[in-house]
Amino acid sequence: MTRAAGIMFAFVRWQMKHKMNKVIGFVLGVSVMFGLTFSPLPAIAQQTAGQQPDPLDSMPPKQREMVVGFQERAKDYSKLRESIEAKMPKLAKDSTPEQIEAHKTEFEKRVRSARAGAKPGELFTPDIATYIRATIKSEYKGTERKELRETVLEADTKGVPLRVNYVYPETKELVEMSPTLLLKLPQLPKQLRYRFVSRNMLLVDRENGLIVDYMLDALP
Amino acid sequence: MKRTIASVLTFAALIFGGLIGNALAQTSAPVPATGERVATGERVATAAASAPVKLTLPVKEGSVRFLVIGDTGTGTIQQQELSDVMLRYRQAFPYEFVLMLGDNMYGGEKPADFKLKFENVYKQLLDDKVKFYATLGNHDESNQRFYEQFNMNGEEFYRFTKGGVAFYSLNSNYMDKRQVKWLEDELAKDTSEWKIMFMHHPPYSSGGKHGSSSGLREVVEPIFLKYGVNAVFAGHEHFYERVKPQKGIYYFISGAGGKLRSGDVKKGSPLTEKAFDTDMSFMLLEVAGDELHFQVISRTGETVDSGVLTKQQKKPNTLNTSNLTVIPIR
Repeated sequence: MTRAAGIMFAFVRWQMKHKMNKVIGFVLGVSVMFGLTFSPLPAIAQQTAGQQPDPLDSMPPKQREMVVGFQERAKDYSKLRESIEAKMPKLAKDSTPEQIEAHKTEFEKRVRSARAGAKPGELFTPDIATYIRATIKSEYKGTERKELRETVLEADTKGVPLRVNYVYPETKELVEMSPTLLLKLPQLPKQLRYRFVSRNMLLVDRENGLIVDYMLDALP
Repeated sequence: MKRTIASVLTFAALIFGGLIGNALAQTSAPVPATGERVATGERVATAAASAPVKLTLPVKEGSVRFLVIGDTGTGTIQQQELSDVMLRYRQAFPYEFVLMLGDNMYGGEKPADFKLKFENVYKQLLDDKVKFYATLGNHDESNQRFYEQFNMNGEEFYRFTKGGVAFYSLNSNYMDKRQVKWLEDELAKDTSEWKIMFMHHPPYSSGGKHGSSSGLREVVEPIFLKYGVNAVFAGHEHFYERVKPQKGIYYFISGAGGKLRSGDVKKGSPLTEKAFDTDMSFMLLEVAGDELHFQVISRTGETVDSGVLTKQQKKPNTLNTSNLTVIPIR
């Protein structure tokens, strides 16, 4: 529609320049605008989410370095837990609940032991925490922010401990992470998840359930 | 002064008692909510189990037949009763598999939970080798993808085909770039006649408690339109809704397989074609050629919705809408 209006405006200016008969010009202009708006030709395909450029590509160098640093720290955790998991019996794709439970429990124990001294802020350093807060704030305005807050604050996450190296309770729900936000936040290794718990953001291991790090007041 | 001390002590006792109670609840066996009864796995002769079967589906030779349920994992008698009706209808409509729309387990995922909330409830269907294909809900841990009976092949998002129908299970809890890319790559090479998505969160919903997942819709709808997705099934809302076709795509919500949020569908919603929110329900579907037949049945065995939808042209966003027909069958 915007494109049609722009073309219409250019047409009117051309018509005025060439002193075209006003009636003919008006009829032609409306026809062009109508045709462009309701054309049976397929609209130029909207760029889908998977085709959108990586936010890293357009960042200033220092910011890029900071985000890449965060991603490297996340990868370091991922490598650690992969090396631990590799020494355990592999969990089959057709496992029983008993096998799943045993694997998770043992995995959690080993990773927790390997990260015995882990503290908050080791992945979410102050600079990346500030960046993430700003990204969330800029991504969500007005009614969208209200909807996000409602989704997050209504979720049953009371009792989730804000403590590194503790387990995210399996009785608590996992708040749906907004896809549009996930596309803007730094990409994580597949085993790590961003999770909102109230207004705070956690990094949670999807298999052993451990809270890897957290930052307070991520949600404006 | 004495009154103040008494008030403080009473308050402290309430808080302390609540904390202890909560701690006990975490370690004990699942406790149903007030008013719900726990299924024991025994077959109970309920009225629903003996209600006459009134099938509206054609049962054509070579058709793809399946059942859809969502938000099941409670282990209550009501979930069992619905399962009994599902079983009865299988005699008249031999569906091959079941799509589970997430929230497969509520309140814990110990082995006892899988027994109580899934294996016991659907025992007969499992014994009859009916396959369950699950998707993850916001109450489900990622590790469910390894559970043999959910047939997720170890993946949080996956696809499979039956007949000429491609089914895509999406993880709507975490629709990140990795999953979006996978979806686009798969759809781009998919030449199936029908493309059906199933996920937990509904892109369109008239629910009062949750409503449409607009952030999810913003990301997935352009992909669905670009690659000619025909139908989308979702749960999360604890009712049934047939949403009016949106940009040519059919949307269904079937989230009352184990829980019910009575009266939650917003009256007069412009999205609703048909809704049912006074009892639990499941869907039966049959894809035969260019037609998608559906029947929605309640816990008491009543048909609450039915019809047939015609397959859209390849690119629904340039669709001639005269191809869309819904013929209620009663």
